[in-house]
Amino acid sequence: MSSNSQFSRKQKGGRQVRRKVEDVKNLSITSLLDVLTIILVFLIKNVSMEAVKISELPDMRYPTTISTDKLLENATVTPIKLYLNEVILGVENLTLGTPQQLVEDGETRAALQNFLTLDFAAIPEEKKSDACLIVQADANLPCGYITQIVSAGTSVGYENIYFATLEDVDWLRTYSSASVR
Amino acid sequence: MAGYRRPYRPSEARQQKGQTAPQEPNLVPIMNLFITIIPFLMLMITIQVSLLALNFASDSTGSGGGDGPGGGNQDKIVEIHLMIKQHDDAGLFPGMEVREPDAEIHKLPWLNENVYDYTRLNDLLAQLKEKYSDTTEIAVIVHPDVIYDTLVRTIDLCKTNGFVTVHYRNPKAVYFY
Repeated sequence: MSSNSQFSRKQKGGRQVRRKVEDVKNLSITSLLDVLTIILVFLIKNVSMEAVKISELPDMRYPTTISTDKLLENATVTPIKLYLNEVILGVENLTLGTPQQLVEDGETRAALQNFLTLDFAAIPEEKKSDACLIVQADANLPCGYITQIVSAGTSVGYENIYFATLEDVDWLRTYSSASVR
Repeated sequence: MAGYRRPYRPSEARQQKGQTAPQEPNLVPIMNLFITIIPFLMLMITIQVSLLALNFASDSTGSGGGDGPGGGNQDKIVEIHLMIKQHDDAGLFPGMEVREPDAEIHKLPWLNENVYDYTRLNDLLAQLKEKYSDTTEIAVIVHPDVIYDTLVRTIDLCKTNGFVTVHYRNPKAVYFY
């Protein structure tokens, strides 16, 4: 009796009458869908197919600039990342060595030259003039290392060399006020 | 009570039983799609960096030795020397030196250690742009010990003052400190 007491009870005539089971209300996911739609639109707007090549690296301190230049359209890009203790080449992220080795070690320089030559040779002839070398370097690096990279790039044939920076339109004002203090 | 009207009651139609509540559209497939797409897009989204261009198209760049990268075009243009070491015999001092073609030299020494006088450089570049309004070229000559940040800020000020074609050069002489 106790087992079906919830759903049925015997009436006088012995006929069982089922009790109406209350409908379980569906969880409304409309508001969640709205939020997801907004996020989706935001993400689609900000997504970049070039992300691998010129995205901000989390463990690098970039110099800041007021002016910015646009990357050439449909350009073939070769990125070079210079950390304080490591040089990384290309989209394949090949480790070349340390920045010091770029200056002191002839073999490292030859390897850099070789990499850039092969990378430039792989670019179709009609796109060679638009080939871009992007230098992503730590702001605290001495320029001697940058010079080595730029020298190797121009000698191979790269006509467009870009320095990756972060945009800060107020850097001059903040720098001036900081230097006065 | 002639004006009395009975209030409306719920319909007593017998068809009420057959009527069903309006059903919500099934959003589960859409949700599945969204949940698949959003992590994918989040992986691809990145904070974009700005770019500062150096163009060597018009330069007769050689092997990268000697005059240095982008040294090519040797027309008489304004030069900015970035220095970090004091060397009186070689005329070096920590700071910047702006050399006009066939004209005067402006010396902008450090304000403090590693603090360059960008405000004065900015003002000077604005004056030089008025003086040499027909050119957009400028050369930045940087010593190897100068910090990259200094180079980029200097190029940035050149570009904001109208010298958009920046040549990046090495010092002609090699200094042994």
